[in-house]
Amino acid sequence: MRAREPDTEGYVDRDGVKLHYEVFGDGRPTLLLLPAWTVVHARFWKAQVPYLARHYRVVTYDGPGNGRSDRPVVAAPYRYETQGRSVVAVLDATGADRAVLVSLSEGAQWALWAAAHHPERVLGNVFICPTVDLELGDEMWSEPFEEPYTSTEGWARYNRHYWLGHWREFLEFFFSQCFTEAHSTKQVEDCVGWGLETTPQVVIAREQAPWPDEATLLGWSARVRRPVLVIHGDEDEIPNARDPVRVNLLIREFTESLPAGGAA
Amino acid sequence: MTTVGAPPGARTAPEQTRARRPDADGFVERDDVKLYYEVYGAGEPTVLLLPTWSIVHSRHWKMQIPYLARHCRVLTFDGRGNGRSDRPAGVAAYLEDEFAADALAVLDATGTDRATLVGVSCAAVWGTILAADHPERVAGIVYIAPAVGLAPGHPERQVYAFDEEYETDEGWAKYNSHFWSRSYREFLEFFFAQSFSEPHSTKPTEDAVGWALDTDPRTLADTSRAISLCRLERFRDTCARVRCPALVIHGDGDLIRPHAQGAALAEATGGTLVTLEGAGHLPQARDPVKVNLLLREFVESLPSGRRP
Repeated sequence: MRAREPDTEGYVDRDGVKLHYEVFGDGRPTLLLLPAWTVVHARFWKAQVPYLARHYRVVTYDGPGNGRSDRPVVAAPYRYETQGRSVVAVLDATGADRAVLVSLSEGAQWALWAAAHHPERVLGNVFICPTVDLELGDEMWSEPFEEPYTSTEGWARYNRHYWLGHWREFLEFFFSQCFTEAHSTKQVEDCVGWGLETTPQVVIAREQAPWPDEATLLGWSARVRRPVLVIHGDEDEIPNARDPVRVNLLIREFTESLPAGGAA
Repeated sequence: MTTVGAPPGARTAPEQTRARRPDADGFVERDDVKLYYEVYGAGEPTVLLLPTWSIVHSRHWKMQIPYLARHCRVLTFDGRGNGRSDRPAGVAAYLEDEFAADALAVLDATGTDRATLVGVSCAAVWGTILAADHPERVAGIVYIAPAVGLAPGHPERQVYAFDEEYETDEGWAKYNSHFWSRSYREFLEFFFAQSFSEPHSTKPTEDAVGWALDTDPRTLADTSRAISLCRLERFRDTCARVRCPALVIHGDGDLIRPHAQGAALAEATGGTLVTLEGAGHLPQARDPVKVNLLLREFVESLPSGRRP
């Protein structure tokens, strides 16, 4: 059950891969809430949509590989350039000349690409817990993804072979790491449920697509001229789900602070 | 109305942040027992949120107070045996007539001519006594998950006696004075796991266990023995004397008090029954929005319940 149903919805076709979008409200400006990693789909914005749609026009879409979008099992549709162009394609399809881009985790890469390559379409960027390879050292990358796993402890489970046999167990582990606060059972259950709507084969295909390296990211960042807000928990990875009131107020405050409240 | 020092035995752990602070608070004394009350908002109508079994204190209304206080004047008080109220020794101090008289004393102390009573679980008994004996003071009554003997209880709760010693501490065998003196916290975790039978209840469970730790097993054992002494055979007659409008809210997933008890109370008081699908024993904490809207709707439906 949803607190707020979309007013319109539709698909954009990106080289044969259909992406499903939804539009809520008719305020100004438009806020585009980007997809994140393939293990979740647009419903991970459920605690933002009803609030923000009372003030703005809110657009969400499912990235390739989950939700009501297609689930390609090749890498190309997951490349960052393609995902960045999808941001613009969804703005085109929903008649949004310009929008505030709100992204979580690796959605930051595509929002940053769009801000760098189509500055005229972007009013500002809100990055929530951006996943960008600017500061490496995460323990999660220390285990080889492709090799047969030798351990089922911790981040050793970030492994294609483990995923193929233990997809739910991986999701439960992963989201327990995302929601480190007490009393997060509901958020974990939601996210595991969304992860089960796709398959490990799809997410493995997504893992084959390269990430932008540091020089590329810094190059894009240098071209961003519009206001930027970064929200990052010092423990929690998905604060929009766990602390929605705080995050919603920050997004609204940021939008209101844009020239003419972003309505120009 | 001013705050004086908390009585000995009151909690020393720092309290959680509150969404809404009381506008006034104070103590009222009855037979040497001091009762701590709080007042939120002003004007008419007034809602008195009753204490329930003293395993918790008035913070169990924390999800109602900030909302209701925007629409009504709200009174709460800590039932004797927990919170900042005294903890008299002995069963007699916790009989149902004492709680009913305490509620009346709080109405008097706060200058409240008339209020709508709202109570959870055991509060049904004292609220009913007050409404029956002082109809001029009670505009309406809301029973949430009422614990009343008008219908049989859950059979699994009737296997063990409270003061007997048993070899086992499985399940409801934990509802036992000997077990409490050994493993009070373990009992609390069991009891509130039963109370919050819905998934995703870790936070209200943690809150409730914390409030129960604000009292002690010996005091709680007295309150429990007192409840078992409630003269339930006359309760049906007391219900029949309730003349004000009544609303009963009961979850059909209540593992502490069967929904049938709420249904029977609605019938005995001529009240309306609202069934919360899948809800456990403490929906005011677990389903606060639904409960708050029902409370507001009920208060506004009463004569002069709506603000001018």
